[in-house]
Amino acid sequence: MLTLSKQAVNLYVDRNAQRWIVRDAYGNFWLLPLGENPWDRREPFLPTEETDLEPIPGHYKSIVGLPFDMT
Amino acid sequence: MSAEHVRLDEARTRKVPWRKWGPYLSERQWGTVREDYSEGGDAWNYFTHDQARSRAYRWGEDGIAGISDDHQRLCFALALWNGKDAILKERLFGLTNSESNHGEDVKEYYFYLDSTPTHSYMKYLYKYPQGEFPYADLVETSRGRSRTEFEYELIDTGAFAENRYWDVFVEYAKDSPEDMLIEITAYNRGPETAELHILPTLWFRNLWSWGEGQNRPSLTEVKAHGASVVRASEASLGPRYFACDGAAPLLFTENETNTSRIFGVPNRTPYVKDSINNYVIHGKVDAINPEKTGTKVAAHYRLSARPGEAATVRLRLCEAPPEVSVDLNGSTSAFFGAKFDEILNARRAEADEFYGEIIPKSLDADSANVMRQALAGMMWSKQFYLYDVDKWLEERGSDPFKSSRKSAPRNEHWHHMYNGDVISMPDKWEYPWYAAWDLAFHALALTLVDPDFGKSQLKLMLRERYMHPNGQIPAYEWNFGDVNPPVHAWATIFTYRLEKGMGGEGDREWLKSSFQKLLLNFTWWVNRKDRTGRNVFEGGFLGLDNIGVFDRNAPLPTGGYLEQADGTAWMALFCQNMLEIATELALEDPGYAEMALKFCEHFLWIASSMAHLGEDTGMWDEEDGFFYDVLRHPDGRAERLKVRSMVGLLPLCAATTLEGEMIARYPEFGDRLMWFLDSRPEIASTIHDPRKRGVNGRQLASILDETKLRRVLEKMLDENEFLSPYGLRSLSRYHADHPYVIHVGGQEYRVSYLPAESDTSMFGGNSNWRGPIWVPVNALIIRSLVHYYLYYGDDFQVECPTGSGQMMNLFEVAREISRRLNGLFLRGKDGDRPVFGGTHTFQDDPHWRDYLLFYEYFHGDNGAGLGASHQTGWTGLVARLLHLFATLTPETAQEEGKKAYRNPANPAQATAAQTVC
Repeated sequence: MLTLSKQAVNLYVDRNAQRWIVRDAYGNFWLLPLGENPWDRREPFLPTEETDLEPIPGHYKSIVGLPFDMT
Repeated sequence: MSAEHVRLDEARTRKVPWRKWGPYLSERQWGTVREDYSEGGDAWNYFTHDQARSRAYRWGEDGIAGISDDHQRLCFALALWNGKDAILKERLFGLTNSESNHGEDVKEYYFYLDSTPTHSYMKYLYKYPQGEFPYADLVETSRGRSRTEFEYELIDTGAFAENRYWDVFVEYAKDSPEDMLIEITAYNRGPETAELHILPTLWFRNLWSWGEGQNRPSLTEVKAHGASVVRASEASLGPRYFACDGAAPLLFTENETNTSRIFGVPNRTPYVKDSINNYVIHGKVDAINPEKTGTKVAAHYRLSARPGEAATVRLRLCEAPPEVSVDLNGSTSAFFGAKFDEILNARRAEADEFYGEIIPKSLDADSANVMRQALAGMMWSKQFYLYDVDKWLEERGSDPFKSSRKSAPRNEHWHHMYNGDVISMPDKWEYPWYAAWDLAFHALALTLVDPDFGKSQLKLMLRERYMHPNGQIPAYEWNFGDVNPPVHAWATIFTYRLEKGMGGEGDREWLKSSFQKLLLNFTWWVNRKDRTGRNVFEGGFLGLDNIGVFDRNAPLPTGGYLEQADGTAWMALFCQNMLEIATELALEDPGYAEMALKFCEHFLWIASSMAHLGEDTGMWDEEDGFFYDVLRHPDGRAERLKVRSMVGLLPLCAATTLEGEMIARYPEFGDRLMWFLDSRPEIASTIHDPRKRGVNGRQLASILDETKLRRVLEKMLDENEFLSPYGLRSLSRYHADHPYVIHVGGQEYRVSYLPAESDTSMFGGNSNWRGPIWVPVNALIIRSLVHYYLYYGDDFQVECPTGSGQMMNLFEVAREISRRLNGLFLRGKDGDRPVFGGTHTFQDDPHWRDYLLFYEYFHGDNGAGLGASHQTGWTGLVARLLHLFATLTPETAQEEGKKAYRNPANPAQATAAQTVC
């Protein structure tokens, strides 16, 4: 049986854009806007070759505004 | 009974939480493994000192002269500003491992002056320059220095020129377990009137940001007369009140990361961790919450003092709300009035009273001062240590049970670990993490004043949250899987006997429990570190960093493997300690007699293996009269690596006298042992024959027979080899003129005598075992010499120093080595303390010369302190040595054996004998 393993959710910061970036369990990248409930208002994000994403530890989920049950 | 003894007794018998509040705040949380989430494990550069003021910590907090509760929910520490610095002095500054020419090093002057074991009274001194703190100069100058040069110290920068600095004393006194009085007294030592900003700071450790269901606690201003008062509310802690004498403004913010400064992403709130800094230094008024609420608050005192005069700030952290403490005039002076003086003076006097019972009357004033400050350092070095390894791995994407996991740079196999306890640290700035073998030595000093705490520390390392399921004891956070010398069993039997000696009854359940866990650990050693099953042990670096010609923790450039004299000797000592524990337990429980016999025989196997029966190359070198590591080449050849080092002295430490209680109670045990020895004559022929009776019928378990013992002692007591004016060197001075050199694969490997700092980068390059004096291994040798004396008595005499013509028995030799070690810290005939080397300010200035620093190790020739400057951890053993030889005489030792040495009596308990160890 073929099984597809989900990736871990990863957090990044894009210092040039001054925004938090999330890669979800399916490999999609999202930009989090400023303000309340940023995950609900997330915007698709497509990294380019020029994008420099700096990893952020997992415990920053709350700080960047992600729901805690999201893994 | 002293008041402090009453408190210790209440804590023990009635669970009164006298230890709930203490100096459990680290002095450095940045740059630790716990806070490191970098891909490559570069802890020093991932979370820097520069970030620390702006970035919330995940696993702990730090500060100057700070305290917290025993779960570190609420923290208090000192912050200062001299009006010149670019940042508030909220934490101690130091260089990272790569910035300094000899590894990480704190660049501040601070002193642990006093503490009782329940922290009912504590005193700390911080010296703060009045001029701009030379952060950049320290970094840049140090970077330019080579490994062969001295470190660039703060005092070298001129920061204390003309005495332009503040002596800031911080004192704590408990009126009750939940009522802490704090007095900060800042003396202007400079020639002109100067101003100082004092910002006593209270904050909650950030638990709420990490998604663990924790509610956000709060700090809010409370109306009060004559004082600024803060109410601290946290669900599990209950309300607390922080009262600040006078009408100092309260500056509120949040203990949350300034994401704008750290990550370049705008903050969600203007109130962040460095807001108080930005308000005071840069005048950013909107950085402070006008609503007077937050999770971090500082009272802002601006004080000035004329030359030689002092400014004082008084504070109180307690359960009582202000209205309870209002006096008849409606002010809160009850917090700070005459009652405050009364309590503070009482605790000071009680600390004197307590140490009056601990410190032997026969010690002179200088020795008593050294002993008290050593013990103060032991008390101040407690730290709340939090590290949930599983959670940490998960947060860095290395969840051990997820297929998509990333590899973690370290500690992947220790995901069972959850540490969250108050632990005795080696040094709260340089080593703010526990180290297993250090901790065992710490217990020996801690038990002088607080046997309960010492016992709890030993138990902790054996708990399921610490010990690996395979039986390994965690080494330290940089690599829990490293191998430290197995000294835990020794510390365990020592601590048990201490308690038994004081109270007449030992804690047998604790001893049994420890024994079971130590069995797991022993088995781990036997199964993992005895490669060939011949009772010869490896163990990697075994705590002695760069002592070997090769890095002993890495694959050898020659291929093959090392048979380590120290590793095997440590295991022989481990066996002896397990034998002693099993014997003690067997006196009331016959089931342990079998285990005693097992460890007795196992000791004999290991001890005899050092001579390597049946093979051509053992560790003992008959020509040199010394033990060496043996290098086994892949082609089967073997050679001794003839480096005369502490490695070769450690076999001497595996010596324990036996009083014969076991055989008297279980004669069949003796019969079986006799059968074993009779049927294996080759074993007893290469070591000390345990059947031979010594003084008072004692028996001796020892690797060295009398002939070998004399030969090793001849080198050890030679001032041209190991015996320095200040204790035993870690490497023989012989190698100053005769470096050991070996060529492998076209490369030269060399060991020379280096009395000071390391010239290699092995193990971070911040400690050196190629010449300096290390107190813990000296203490082990002193212990063994006393045991040899108990067996051989006065008739066994050796020349000490070798070639001097002066003959001593082994008790006198032990006392002589101890005298030399104590001499590191005591004023000599010239008035100088060797520990301070050639630093004139420390030697001569009345505001410096009696404040001690207990360094990590010491110059092999002149005794100057080296390495970590606040490693009261194991260097605090000097307190035990001062006590030992001030109270034990050779006559009582001979008469009473191991029971002759008595700990300071606790009037709360029956006084009885306690063993040597």
